[in-house]
Amino acid sequence: MSTAISTNKADKVNPAVKSTAYRAKRRFIIISLVPILLLFGVFAFLPIAWSLGLSAFKYDPLSSNAIYVGAENYIRMFQDSIFLKSLWVTFKFVFIAVLINIVITLLIASAIQRVRIPWLKNGFRTVFFLPTIAPLAGTAIVWNTMFNYNDGLFNMILAKLNMAPIQWLSDPHYALYSIIMMTLWADIGYNIVLFIAGLDSIPDMYYEAATLEGAGRWHVFLHITLPLLRRTLLFVSITTVVSYFQAFPQFQIMTKGGPFNETRVLSLQIYEQAFSSSNMGYASAMATVFLMIILLVTLLQLRWGRTQWEH
Amino acid sequence: MPRKFSLWEGFTIAVLAVIACVMLLPYVWMVLSSLKSNMDIVSGSGGFFPSKPSLDGYRTVFSEAPFVTWLLNSLVTSVIITVVTLFTSALAGYVFAKHQFKGKKLLFILILATMMIPFQVIMIPTYLITAELGLVNHLLAIILPNLVSSYGVFLAKQFIEEIPQELLEAARMDGSGEFRLMLRIVMPLILPMLSALGIFTFMNSWNNYLWPLIVLNDESKMTVPLALVYFNGTHQVNYNVVMSAAVLITIPVIIMFLIFQKQFIKGLAMTGMK
Repeated sequence: MSTAISTNKADKVNPAVKSTAYRAKRRFIIISLVPILLLFGVFAFLPIAWSLGLSAFKYDPLSSNAIYVGAENYIRMFQDSIFLKSLWVTFKFVFIAVLINIVITLLIASAIQRVRIPWLKNGFRTVFFLPTIAPLAGTAIVWNTMFNYNDGLFNMILAKLNMAPIQWLSDPHYALYSIIMMTLWADIGYNIVLFIAGLDSIPDMYYEAATLEGAGRWHVFLHITLPLLRRTLLFVSITTVVSYFQAFPQFQIMTKGGPFNETRVLSLQIYEQAFSSSNMGYASAMATVFLMIILLVTLLQLRWGRTQWEH
Repeated sequence: MPRKFSLWEGFTIAVLAVIACVMLLPYVWMVLSSLKSNMDIVSGSGGFFPSKPSLDGYRTVFSEAPFVTWLLNSLVTSVIITVVTLFTSALAGYVFAKHQFKGKKLLFILILATMMIPFQVIMIPTYLITAELGLVNHLLAIILPNLVSSYGVFLAKQFIEEIPQELLEAARMDGSGEFRLMLRIVMPLILPMLSALGIFTFMNSWNNYLWPLIVLNDESKMTVPLALVYFNGTHQVNYNVVMSAAVLITIPVIIMFLIFQKQFIKGLAMTGMK
């Protein structure tokens, strides 16, 4: 009992006060934590365990009978060409989108950071950040009309340039890139703001020293800015990778996985298996693999980030 | 660096300005499309600009869509989620930061661990639990699973740990109970962090699409993003109607953002939150 409240100096004075104060604290802890833990339990801990369990069953919510199938769902997955395709598409999407995202946000952020007119700097930041606050579902709908074959904005521009129109969302060569373009528009604001904050925290004296020694812009960026930005870079790349793995509304609204499954990312595939095809057991097994992939990729990034750090 | 307006800086600003215009293009497109008349769209002669600006789209939105209901659904759920999440985060953060009990460390790690779990992993069981509770197609289904935030608890704990123990002891000597202590002393001291958490909790819940898509199917129960997509499905041809709805939804968001811009950007840099 006394160890539990050893930080409380006042309690040492009077044993009577001590026990009432102790009981009051005790009651406070219980009253405040129980409802919160109940919510975490029901909507976080339980679903995680349930999801793992469900992946070993064949479960259709409509007939509501679960048949134990062991590892069958997992075995089925690696013979399922659509699943393998969606695995490939997911990696392709994440890799390309994250790479372009980080390169352009870093460039734009360092450009904005160098603007010395305050209202202009703020204005640029606002314009780039604005799309991030709108619901992605709404953005997807607006971009759908922009990608329209007959009267969309992009084909209008192509026509002005005397180029042939493109089936932006239904040509298998372009669909994924169209979605990447939309995703980048909707999302680069976050990373730009984070990079500007990171750049702002680099002391001016580093740059001054480098300029005195006659270093060029590119040299300064490569040998001073980038190394000092490593912490931000690691954080940004991890959060962007994790969030792009989970990207969902744009795929569900703009292409529904088509054409020829070229945009069927894993998160869409899990959703459709679970709620359109009612294969909840199989979908749970996919979700488990999905979780493992995300954890593994995050771990690799952290490890890679740490080795870069020490060197 | 020399403080003069260099050629390089002018070039940077010019390039940024061009990219910024490209960034704004979808907004211009959205507004111009919403002003196209039904005739413009049926004739298929649609250029970038409406041939004769009309409010057909807006009229249809207000006559055919329960627009106010959608806004209210989103507003009510998001406000409740935000207020309760702020409270539960501060409360749990306070307990984890300033109180001792058995199993505290393990519990905190368990809560932190849920932060790493993508929603796609838990959505199926969460749906089954919601169905079991009889909440499918009910706004409570949106609210209930979102009343606690592991990231919120983590942030609150970090910030509350900074509060000096003496301050709390002094208040306790004056006879303050723990709840009062939290409301009157702890919460005001972590206000900047709470306002950042509040903004992002509100935004995430306002913009959430996947979970409402799973549990809501009645048009009158839908929240804004889901309703917009549903409405889009029923008005595929007349995109001026959907663009009008999109404009109506985007304008308040932009105004809110311009008002709270500073807090937004500061909060993002402080919490790294999305």
